[in-house]
Amino acid sequence: MTDEPVPQTDSPRELLAAVHALTRRVRVAQRGTWFPLLVFATITLVAIPVYRYVPYLDVFGTCRSRPGHTVCTAPNPAELGYWTVALLFAYAAIAAFYVRQSRRRGVGTPIRPYVVVGVALAVLMTAVSIWLTFHPLLPQPADPFSTDPMQIEVGPAGWIINGLASPLAVIGLALLVLAWVERHWALLAYTLAYLAIGMVQGNQIIHSSSPWFFLPHLLVPAAVLLLGAAAFALFRPTAEVRP
Amino acid sequence: MADHPANGLDDVVHQRVRLGIMAIAHQARQVEFGFLRTTLQLTAGNLGQHLTVLEKAELIQIEKGYEGKRPRTWVTLTAAGQAALRDEIAHLKQLIQQVEQTETPPTADQ
Repeated sequence: MTDEPVPQTDSPRELLAAVHALTRRVRVAQRGTWFPLLVFATITLVAIPVYRYVPYLDVFGTCRSRPGHTVCTAPNPAELGYWTVALLFAYAAIAAFYVRQSRRRGVGTPIRPYVVVGVALAVLMTAVSIWLTFHPLLPQPADPFSTDPMQIEVGPAGWIINGLASPLAVIGLALLVLAWVERHWALLAYTLAYLAIGMVQGNQIIHSSSPWFFLPHLLVPAAVLLLGAAAFALFRPTAEVRP
Repeated sequence: MADHPANGLDDVVHQRVRLGIMAIAHQARQVEFGFLRTTLQLTAGNLGQHLTVLEKAELIQIEKGYEGKRPRTWVTLTAAGQAALRDEIAHLKQLIQQVEQTETPPTADQ
């Protein structure tokens, strides 16, 4: 991007070109893409100790016990609670960041649609996750204590519902809105790649008795988000950097 | 005969600096005096004069305030300003189209 002045002529073609150039310059000055990515990478990394160490809270009554053995058919509700709260705090922090940046740079921010969609998706994620706890898409084994691996087949509708229940997919869907409000093609391409990685990873079932079995599902998206934050921070145009 | 698109141009808006101010204010929703001055590469006095013209025409709204001890002037496009910008851009596009049609060389069978 250049800092050329508005053309010194009133030809319609040059006036229109100047309008488009100024619009692009404002859009660049409004961007702060690296910050949301950094916030989401942070909450994804903080989720690791939550998944590992917070004890199972059987608030939905999904656990069955027999002497010395307890089986729970749904993920730990504490994880859902964590993601709901973390996502709401994340969007509050992102909104505050953009408002502050807007005051510093002297140019308004179009961030509201992104924050509204992000919060709505976070609430939807919580609702869908609770609904899935009572209406699981996958057939439940007759014997909950059975250790036989099951063949899992989920149709397109199941994919969508599972996606809406996944915090990492919800982050990606909201990032599509950010790419639109910032008219940011690089962010759009990055978000599509992030969602594709999430889809491939979501298809992988980890059969493991390790208490850290979930680690790849959090570490991979956290690494992708961190790399994205670093790349967008390093390669932002000068007009975006200048206060 | 259809009215020439040049007749629809508003003299207040059809001026490169004022059109620039309005284009920036439209995209930014709210823009600060300093950002306008830097982006349009104007002196404070020159920018102030253009802002006064736009404010008198009720195309922009100017709010003055302080951020800490720093005085800040924020510019917002009014609804009339949005409409005027939209009309100006439409007229500019029509003018370009008309010029392009006039410049098209005649074909062999004409």
